[in-house]
Amino acid sequence: MKQIYILLIALSAFTLFSCNKETANTQTNVMNNLLTNKNWYLDYSITEAMTSTTPVVLKSYVGQSTYFITYLKNGDTKDSDGITGTYTVELINGQSQIHMQLKTSNGNPFEVIYNIISVGESNMVLSKLVSGPATKLYFTTK
Amino acid sequence: MGIANTFTIRFLCLFIVASILVGSSLTAQTLTKKQQDSAFLLHPGQERMRNIKKSLAKTFVNFTGNNLSLYGSLNLSKQNINDNGITAPINYLYNSLNSNTYEAGFSGGFRIDGIYNEKHRYSFSFGVNRIAAGNNYKNLHSLAPFINDFTHFKADNVFTSINIAVHYKKLLSIGDMNKYKFYAVIGPSFDYKISSISEENLINGAGNRAIMNGDFGTEFDNKGYYILFAHYKYGVNMTSSSAPIQLNRFEIGMSIKTKDLF
Repeated sequence: MKQIYILLIALSAFTLFSCNKETANTQTNVMNNLLTNKNWYLDYSITEAMTSTTPVVLKSYVGQSTYFITYLKNGDTKDSDGITGTYTVELINGQSQIHMQLKTSNGNPFEVIYNIISVGESNMVLSKLVSGPATKLYFTTK
Repeated sequence: MGIANTFTIRFLCLFIVASILVGSSLTAQTLTKKQQDSAFLLHPGQERMRNIKKSLAKTFVNFTGNNLSLYGSLNLSKQNINDNGITAPINYLYNSLNSNTYEAGFSGGFRIDGIYNEKHRYSFSFGVNRIAAGNNYKNLHSLAPFINDFTHFKADNVFTSINIAVHYKKLLSIGDMNKYKFYAVIGPSFDYKISSISEENLINGAGNRAIMNGDFGTEFDNKGYYILFAHYKYGVNMTSSSAPIQLNRFEIGMSIKTKDLF
């Protein structure tokens, strides 16, 4: 009888403690997998500005042939304007972000941070983190 | 002279064959040094097993007429997924994931059928399931007009689990009960996913390996030769999850007594 109780306790403990194996990197790993090794074509850029009296939404259709950016598995990034650099996907205070350390074609370094609004297999919405009106960028893959 | 020679040769052959057989049987009966030593030694493992068997026999004294069978079954499964608790900004296109159909898998294992207190029929089963489930995502999200109908969560729909079930069997008075027996079956079962869980399935603490099921169904016993069964299993996550999954399964299968098989 004692053995049965021990077996039951062991089974219960095994069940309770092995249910969830999420790690700190799970979310960023999944987003990285969705992001990498694709050409993301910019379809729309939307800036929500505010005039002195009324809010103004500035929409612009960019078109897929105009601009694209690629995030490589090894952490490098490059875009159609010739800007290259590195990137990391980070989760900061619950907000998923892409941090990019870039260099212009002239070699001048600069940093860009995007909030990830949504990322999937073929759609991505980013918001550029700048002071002033936020710009949302809508990307798709071909 | 020739006949006498033939008889002598035959006798000699017979004697040689008999000697070999007797010799070999004598050799087989002789214990090796290791076996002789082993016979005098204590075997704590064997002793413990004997004690466990005795203890089980005492504990389960009211569980009689136990028949061990092997079973195999076809499963049709569908899972309902609620992704409202997922906060990760991930989108999976609804049309590419949502099938809302029952998909086929299979199960195999063994079961013990017996009677408790000479009144209540029961079955205890242990098996392995390969489940392929159709997906029914309950919530639709949209970032119109750019991304239409997506879900935040991608549930694993093909996985392997081990299953333990205890069913109460109620004999139904249908037809000639001396030949065929029909049972109504009800009871709980427990599934534990043993295949690896994808990272998509672990996001925001959604991963959950344990499933608790409520089962009911019918069984047809053909003179004890075999049992045909049809069960429905209503399964829910055993522990809380940010994306609770409700698993519906129909199980149609057959069990045959092991003593008839081997």
